[in-house]
Formats: sequence, structure tokens, C-alpha cells
Amino acid sequence: MTHVRPNLRLYLANRTGVLLTPVVILTIMLGLSLIVAGFIGIATGFPLPEGTVVRMRYNGGALYCVPGFLLSVGVLAMNRNFSMALAFGSTRRNFWLGTSIGFILTSLAVGVGTVLLLGLEILTDHWFINARAFDVVALGSGDPVQAFATMFVLSMLSLYTGAFFGTIYRALGTVWTSVAAVGLGVLALCAGAAFLWKWDVIAPQVVGWEAWFFVALGLVTAALMAAASYGANRSATV
Amino acid sequence: MTPSPPSAHPSGISLNHVTKNFGRKQVLTDVTAELPSGRIYGLLGSNGVGKTTLMSLICGHQFRTGGRILIDGIDPVENPMVLQRTCFVHEDQLYNDSFSVRDILAVIPAFYPTWSAETADRLVTRFRLPLDTKSKKLSRGQRSALAITLSLASRAAYTFLDEPYLGLDASSRSILYDELLAEYAAHPRTFIISTHLIDEVADLMEEVVVLEDGVVAVQTDVDEARAACFIVRGREAEVRTLVGDREILTERHLGTILSATVRGAVTPDDRTLAERTHLTIEAASLQEFVAALGLHALDEVARKTEVAS
Repeated sequence: MTHVRPNLRLYLANRTGVLLTPVVILTIMLGLSLIVAGFIGIATGFPLPEGTVVRMRYNGGALYCVPGFLLSVGVLAMNRNFSMALAFGSTRRNFWLGTSIGFILTSLAVGVGTVLLLGLEILTDHWFINARAFDVVALGSGDPVQAFATMFVLSMLSLYTGAFFGTIYRALGTVWTSVAAVGLGVLALCAGAAFLWKWDVIAPQVVGWEAWFFVALGLVTAALMAAASYGANRSATV
Repeated sequence: MTPSPPSAHPSGISLNHVTKNFGRKQVLTDVTAELPSGRIYGLLGSNGVGKTTLMSLICGHQFRTGGRILIDGIDPVENPMVLQRTCFVHEDQLYNDSFSVRDILAVIPAFYPTWSAETADRLVTRFRLPLDTKSKKLSRGQRSALAITLSLASRAAYTFLDEPYLGLDASSRSILYDELLAEYAAHPRTFIISTHLIDEVADLMEEVVVLEDGVVAVQTDVDEARAACFIVRGREAEVRTLVGDREILTERHLGTILSATVRGAVTPDDRTLAERTHLTIEAASLQEFVAALGLHALDEVARKTEVAS
């Protein structure tokens, strides 16, 4: 742990960027959702009518707003911080472990931030106008455990995907980064096609899982990306 | 598997037939050298000869293609006990863009139990480093000053300085040399400095390792290196008579006058002959010696290419 801790400190050197910014992005998404709800409300009257509420239950803003930023955090961590860590005597393994603990902290911040905003949403009876940004189907329809798990896993997946590409770029350059991106895209499409093809076999196995199915899927994918980033990291050079 | 701890008595760096290829290009063909600890080494050679690559291999930043590298008797690759005793800030070191100098100076001490906050503070003041400036906004000279600050304050047992003077003005370079010597005197450790400003740094270095053509062309004490060649000038025929079968590293012609850099020491017979035949003999500086070796290597490559074609 002695040799892992400096790498965690390196990751956390810019605490605002890796802990606060993702939560701020969630808050901005909430603000935009409320503005949209406000415009709708001006036309339909407040509180929002049931038809609009049903549509807002499928608001996926929380799922879409943070991955892009977290991908860049993952890329930068493995690219810039990696060079620094090695310059100052770290091993690749300890760098990866320290950064991974950092990724867990970022994901916890996103998860806790989501739960807090969800709590506020429910406490304020959906922001006083029946608008929804966190009490949505994708986050478990008000279940804080599921909301936390979904956002935690999504964050880990985004960070490790960024870390994987950041490491490939560092280890092998731009050409192989493009090859990896295309390869991963093809793999994701194939996996999606396989799911659709065998859905009648898979569906009975996961019936009742609802959004937990996507949490489990995200968890498995995040674990695969973590393993891939670890493998790539072991051969990365400065 | 628990990595082996380094020995209590640092024995230095051992390079044994080290090779490094980048694709088909072989940069280091066979590097063998022993660098005992507690000395200041100058790693010299022409551009692209592999100085930075060699330092990267020693610190495990890159992987060697072949051979063996040991620090204090242990392979440093992925060994935290050994690597925490190294510090190698690259000449084009990447920092996290969002980090200011203050952020960097706050986080790096965690990597070194030997970190000297006092040295860091002093160097920040002497180099007038702007603490709140982001690393990406630093000028070339400020980046070098930051690298020197981090390297010296780390007090790492094996500190590598890769052309540390780049972008520094004369007074800042003077600070670098003063501070390096002061640190070395107060806390003896191993410094390996790659440099092209050889004569400027010559008084700091105790030993030089000259890389040419992917191998160690010369490894010697600085004083011995200075005596390893001399320059003789005069009419070509007399110069060639004096040189005899000794190796001429470089030669320059000006009409019938030849100026030759000759490998070897000047003998009393040389001086007598020079006086009789009106030749001038003078000691070559370390920089002239290294430059001559580099030109000699280039001539050899050109000759081989010509023969091959």
C-alpha cells in the first residue's frame, strides 16, 4: 500500500476535477431538465400533466451526461499521470492500483451525488412541478440503492474505458488506438446482436431484474475494461 | 510475489549487453557498462544515439529488447523497492495539464521518503518558478527549472537529468550547477546527466560515458577523457608523420594545413617532433573529444554505406 498511496494522491491532486465536477455535471443536467419541464409547463400548466410525467420517467439525462467527461478523466489519468508516476519511481502495477482506487472514489462521488439529488427530488415532490431527472426508470424509479448502483457502475465503466484507450494510446500510438476503438465498437455491436438474437433465451433468466440487468451487464463490462486497461498498462512505455 | 529489496549498500548500475530496437531500427546494439554508485556521470553522445533511451531502460520507462540491467544488483523493471530510488524527469516530461506547479510540488513528495521540502522551496525561489501557473503554460526554461527542482528535491539515490539546461539562461544554468554540487556534497548520490553542453558541465562530472553507434564508445574518468586525445596542426605531411598509425578521429584541411584530432596521449617524442617540424599540439577539450568521436562514427557509417552500395 505504501507504493500505491502516492499514485492515489496523484489522481486526487485535482480533487475538484475528479470528485466535484461529475456531480456538478449531474446538477447542470438537472437544471436543463427543469428548464425543459418549465417550458412544457408554460404550455400545459403546472404541475405537469400525467402524459408529460410518464415521458419524463424515461428521462435518460443522468445516464448520458457523465460518461463523456469520465472517459476524458480516464484517458488523462492513464496518459499524463502515468508519465508522471513513472518519472517519480512508481511501477506500472502500483500506478494502476492507485488510479483504480481513485476511480472508485470518483464513482462513489457520482453515486452519492445521484442519491442526494434523487432524495431532494422526492423531498420536493419532484421539484414542486412534477418534473423528473433522477426518479426515472433507468435509475430504478426512486430506488436509491439502484440509482446508486447504476451510476456507480456507469462511472466505473466510463473511467476504465477511458483508461483503456489512454493506455493503448500511450503504449501503441494513434493507429492502434483507432484499431482498438473500431474493434471495441464491432465487439459491442456483435454482443448487442447476440443479445437480440438470443433474447428469448436470455429474457426468462433475467425476468424480474429490470434495471438491475443493466447494472449487472455494466459491471461485467466494467470488469472486462478494467482487465483490458491493466493488461495494456503493463506494456505501456514513456 | 514480493519484490526483492535493494541491498543496504548501493552497488550502482550494471548494464550487460543491453539492446533496444524500435521496430527494425536498432538504437542500442550492445551497451555494457558498470556505473558504481555515488558519482556524477555524464552521458554523452550525438543526437539520436540513444542517451534518453538508455536512461529510460534503466528506470523501466521502456523495455529493453535484450541484455540485463541491474540497479544495486536487482532488475529494476516493475520493482517498487528499486524504482522508488530513481528519479527521471524526461526532457519533454508530460504533466497533467490541469496541474499547477503548486499541485505538482504538493503531490510528488509522496513518492519519495527522502524528499527535501527545503531544497524544493529554495529552488522554487531561486528559479522564480510561478507556483500558480498550469504546467502546460510554463515556458521551456521554466519546465527545465521545475524538472531540476523535482529531481534535486527528490534526493533519489539514482537521479537522471536529461539535458536539464534546455531553455535556461546563463544565470539559471549557474544555479543548476551550484545546487547540484551543493546537493551532491551534502547528500552524496548518483547523478547521470545527459548533456550536449559538455565543457560547461565538465567540471561537475566525475566520469563520462560516451555512446556512439549503439555501444559505449568510451567510459572513463573526466581527466582521462580530456587526455584521451589531442589536436595537432601543421603541414599535412608532417602531421601524418607525427600521428603515425594512431587513429585520427577527425581532420580539417585549410589549404596545405591539416588539423587532426588524434586518439591517444601526447608523448615526449611527439613534442620534440612537433617543435622540430613546426607543428602545434594542444589538448582537446572534452567537448572536442566527444564531437570528434561523433564525427568519426558518422564517417564510419558513411564509409560502410558507400562500401555496401
